[in-house]
Amino acid sequence: MRLAEPLRVGPLRLRNRVVFAAHLTNAAVDGVVTDQHVAYYAARAAGGAGLVITEEHSVHPGDHPYEKLIRGWDPAVVPGYRRLTAAVHAHGAPVLAQLNHNGGQSSGMYSREPVWAPSPVPDPMFREVPQEITTAGIAELVAGYATVARHCVAGGFDGVELQCSHASILRQFLSPLTNHRTDSHGGALEDRVRVVREALVAVRAEVGPDRVVGVRLCGDEGLPGGTPLAEMVRTAQLLEPHVDYVNTSIGVATATLHLIEASMHVEPGYALFIPSAVRRAVSVPVVGVGRFTTPAHAERALAEGHCDLVGVVRGQIADPTFASALPPPAPAPAPPGCQQSHHQDTRRPDGGFPDTGAAGAGRAVAAEQLSGQACIGCNQECVGRVGLNRGLQCAVNPRAGREAVAVPAPTRSKRVLVVGGGPGGLRAAATAAEGGHRVLLCEGSSAMGGQVALAAVAPGRAELGHLVRDLLARCRALGVEVRTGCPVDEAVVRREAPDAVVLATGATPGRPEWARGANRVVDVRDVLAGRVAPTGSVLVHDELGGHAATSVAELLADRGCAVTISTPAMVVAQDLGTTLDMELFHRRAHRAGIALVTDRVVLAATARPGGVAVRVLEHTTGAVAEVAPDWVVTAVPAEPRDELWPPLRDRPGPAVHRVGDCLAPRLAADAVRDGHRVGLAV
Amino acid sequence: MLFGPHETNLGRGRRFSDRHVAYYGRRAAGGAGVLVTEVASVHESDWPYERAPLAAEGWGDVLGACRPHGALVLAGLGHAGGQGCSAHRREALWAPSPVQDVVTREVPMAVEQPEIDALVAGFGAAAALAAAADLDGVEVDAGEFSILRQFLSGLTNRRTDGYGTDRTRLLREVLAAVRAGLGEDRIIGLRLSCDELAPWGGITPPDGVVIAAAVSGAVDYLVPVRGGAMAASRPDLHVEPGFGTRLCAAVRRAAGVATVLQGSVVEPVAAGAALDAGVADLVEMTRAQIADPDLVAHVRAGHPERVRPCTLSNRRTAVRDPRNPLVTDDAEPSAGHELDDDWPPPTDPRPRAALVVGGGPAGLEAARTLALRGHWVRLVERAPVLGGALRWAAVVHGRGRMGVLVPWWAAELHRLGVRVELGAEITADDLDAAERAGIAVVLATGSRPAPPAFRSDRPVVAAGEFEAAVLAAGSTPAALAALAGDAPEFRKATFPNPAGSIVAFLEPGVGRGGVEGGGAVLVLDPVGDGTGVGIAEQVAAAGPPTVLVTPDQVAGTQLARTGDLAPANARLARAGVVRELRSTLREVADGRAVLEHVWTDERRTLDCALVIDCGHRLPADALWRARPRLARAGDCVAPRTLHEAVLEGRRAAALAVRA
Repeated sequence: MRLAEPLRVGPLRLRNRVVFAAHLTNAAVDGVVTDQHVAYYAARAAGGAGLVITEEHSVHPGDHPYEKLIRGWDPAVVPGYRRLTAAVHAHGAPVLAQLNHNGGQSSGMYSREPVWAPSPVPDPMFREVPQEITTAGIAELVAGYATVARHCVAGGFDGVELQCSHASILRQFLSPLTNHRTDSHGGALEDRVRVVREALVAVRAEVGPDRVVGVRLCGDEGLPGGTPLAEMVRTAQLLEPHVDYVNTSIGVATATLHLIEASMHVEPGYALFIPSAVRRAVSVPVVGVGRFTTPAHAERALAEGHCDLVGVVRGQIADPTFASALPPPAPAPAPPGCQQSHHQDTRRPDGGFPDTGAAGAGRAVAAEQLSGQACIGCNQECVGRVGLNRGLQCAVNPRAGREAVAVPAPTRSKRVLVVGGGPGGLRAAATAAEGGHRVLLCEGSSAMGGQVALAAVAPGRAELGHLVRDLLARCRALGVEVRTGCPVDEAVVRREAPDAVVLATGATPGRPEWARGANRVVDVRDVLAGRVAPTGSVLVHDELGGHAATSVAELLADRGCAVTISTPAMVVAQDLGTTLDMELFHRRAHRAGIALVTDRVVLAATARPGGVAVRVLEHTTGAVAEVAPDWVVTAVPAEPRDELWPPLRDRPGPAVHRVGDCLAPRLAADAVRDGHRVGLAV
Repeated sequence: MLFGPHETNLGRGRRFSDRHVAYYGRRAAGGAGVLVTEVASVHESDWPYERAPLAAEGWGDVLGACRPHGALVLAGLGHAGGQGCSAHRREALWAPSPVQDVVTREVPMAVEQPEIDALVAGFGAAAALAAAADLDGVEVDAGEFSILRQFLSGLTNRRTDGYGTDRTRLLREVLAAVRAGLGEDRIIGLRLSCDELAPWGGITPPDGVVIAAAVSGAVDYLVPVRGGAMAASRPDLHVEPGFGTRLCAAVRRAAGVATVLQGSVVEPVAAGAALDAGVADLVEMTRAQIADPDLVAHVRAGHPERVRPCTLSNRRTAVRDPRNPLVTDDAEPSAGHELDDDWPPPTDPRPRAALVVGGGPAGLEAARTLALRGHWVRLVERAPVLGGALRWAAVVHGRGRMGVLVPWWAAELHRLGVRVELGAEITADDLDAAERAGIAVVLATGSRPAPPAFRSDRPVVAAGEFEAAVLAAGSTPAALAALAGDAPEFRKATFPNPAGSIVAFLEPGVGRGGVEGGGAVLVLDPVGDGTGVGIAEQVAAAGPPTVLVTPDQVAGTQLARTGDLAPANARLARAGVVRELRSTLREVADGRAVLEHVWTDERRTLDCALVIDCGHRLPADALWRARPRLARAGDCVAPRTLHEAVLEGRRAAALAVRA
């Protein structure tokens, strides 16, 4: 397996080809590395990553595009660097720091200074006109790269990577869209590359030949008039004498972020044409990226010759042990600065509570040895949170973003009954079993997965099902007894006599007042489950703003229905924006002829022959209209299914907990998090 | 005079910080009578925004900074309930009923007796902590973002138990617990929503008066507010100042307890009139005291004209934004930055002659700063009037209040003895002469329009120049007629429907497709602040068909933070402005504008008589390029907003005299 093969990158020998590439975590506080950073990166090193590249470290005080940025220019960063690098080295992986200045892809909100850019071209997201950087400013910028490189050396990094890609002043110099200069840093490609070369030379002077210097270049900005791929390849050639590797990227972090962090609607390997082109033109190792959620995807990218290394970010956020499934590498000499003698076993120590029979397997099976939790490309908790200035987390891995928070050790093994096999129940069962409890999971229906399994039926949403698949496999590996077709009532609880009950019974579809009496007004779940099959014209009324309405709309449009999505909100399916699904959804909806209408409240719906008569209020103007679709499908808040809760709560007996929708109808990620928390708490 | 509770993001984590202390202390020093600190969560289940304070952390330091100035300090206490944000605590939100929040769309969990007991106990414990910190009292929040209001409102309380059949029960229990925790000798205030602007199920003013009367015996003062999911307590400049007057008077009559007038009260004269008329016993002026911490001091000294006016734009004062911006002000950038800025400025030991080039906000504030520092200042402005781009901004429909600062600055410069020369040009040679004479120079020469990014055979005018034309022509219709030039005079045309196939499905209430009108005025808005929306309203009010073209999914997307996003879009809809969302203008050829969907690349065309380009501008920096060692400020560095212009005006003034 090529992915498991070591590789030499400049002075470093990597144990395998899996790179934990640079990405924002929002874990910094006051501009310095935190315990969370240390634990987060160390967990991926412990999980087998061949190379860790940290998030960006800013090279200049005027560059402060988001609050929780690592201020590499500040000497105060060095002690944190040392803790971070030591922790990663302890697990046998080298670690690089990414250096960057965001240029015009920023604002003065935090710095209270004008932002610098090659030319006064405002970024389409930040929308602030930058100040054209002066010649003296360029010298200051280059010196900033050198300063941070010096801090990185002092902090124990094995090298640095210069970002010239996602949100970077260096990319802005390279791109004809943002560099309109007429001096020696603008015009022909050789002139636009100049500042990058100056920065690389300055950085190399600081790090010397024994550490790595890499560069990350954007091969497709996804914007008309942006840097063509051939020019990016030429840039790589021009810079090759100064670097030990070339990393690649697609998209611009502010204008075309959906290209960088594509969701589950995009095939793995979608950006491989870029490293492929670069690799043909340079002799240093080339890194390819682009939603590799399984080792097989990554292996294929290598096998087909697109790249020498594979950047796997979300795959390793979801499953820190992504690379541990690879065959063990040949013993490797420690990279410079590595402290292998301090190798720490991150597994919890055994012992501390009585052996618990079958479920005791949970204690014996360390988390790292269990089947992994594949990234499902939902982008909710990683991309979605980071974009909102919140700490990175993960929908499928409730530990992600909380690595520094210790998991409490259970004091004694209990018998835990989990009621409901959706994501909340599965996660509660898995976590409880990992903690050494004996767990019985009862699902009332014949299939596991609850609403997630249903949602995965929709076009492009199949990977949601991996959440259920992987959790179920984990439960089985941990010795959880899983029963389907097993509804639970009070009698069952009495019979099983558990020490604790976790209710994860989900929610029933909401039925709006106005829908009563119209039998062709149905819920999205009725459609996804195949209980009804609307035809003709369909009005999808959405009050949730997520994927439910759009999924069903696409499903029905695929079947030939004339679909309109209508919402009281100002934007249809607003949450698709935070998960970077909005643009592609609009393209698909446009092709499928799905109409989108906002600001509409349904006042009444009545049955009419062959359809529904709907009175719709445009609440901004007060205009009321009658429409006559053949069917109405609603995506409205569900109602907690919690019949078991009052009796169990009010009578003496086992401790009872609620997780997921039966507590408050929310998203799968909320259910997973609830389940994990309760699984720990039982 | 009350400085009301508001989000500041000044906290350190969830604790009150030294920034808070300086911020409140500065307002107390300037004469505020009562300061209510940022609402603190009374229970761990509440974490509505990242820096939302927790009860008790740091109140004593705030008190220490304020009490010496004679101000009372009360702790704001609250719980945001279902209007919180589960992104921080990562557990289900608490609320009376599982009713989805209108704004966040989160569905909360319905609290049961144990949670209610914890909530009541939390209020009581927080009050006890406030007493232990020796605060003068607390203010309980049942206003815009509060679980107490959610219990009071039929929109959010659908319970069938005793807390649903009697919706004031929880509030009464909370007030009793607060009194028990606080003791008899400290103040309990209540911020009470008396109008949710949702008469179909929400609290209406008559309801509010009844509730206020029912609980008035348990409190020492009431702040009746407009507040709820659809009712901002502090709306922006589109809502008239002092809008709470009638409500306040009604509550005061019914409740018989000290009552505070709240609601965009910004003019000291209006505040005084409300007190004289018996509308209220106290007046809350929060944003006005953010804009000028010395408001009370100036009034007391007999100089109300020196109070820096508040724009009510909400652009810097409203900070419920996940990016955690610090509270500050359009024209008082040191608000919220009391520890960062050397402001008010020191008097420099050696007075110098100073020249400020440009009479927009940056130049005006630079000149004012130089004069405050003791220098002899001459300000030269090319135009015949002061104000620069701010004058244009104040012509935009609904944004007239932005102009309140221009006469204030003119009066300040007059008071400080600044020599103002209007209609005069400064050349590079003049700058050299000034330098030889040892004169400190600040360049504040503003901005110029960027060339259009599209080809057009119909007139294209930048937003600023359009408003300049309106000022020159005397009216918007006259300016439109003048600018459209020889374009066909708003001829009859049929609009394509912006929503595509929807019309067939949801007519006739949809999209106003097929509206008969003339060649449209296209308002091109790639920025999404108040300008594009306001100009579209302005043009539509003048008659011609108006199309707002934006790459965004809603018009005026940056207005989300100011609270005007939904109101602005409703105003546009009612005014008949066609919103071409997710669109860019590719070209105007033969009077047909070609619009392109930013994602699907679908193209549409429509008749176009005039394009008003609200896009970004470029620095007017010819003088600086000629003499790049000189200090400069504001738009001539990079065209941004009023706030940056003022901040840099101050900084450039300091830099110029240091050189």
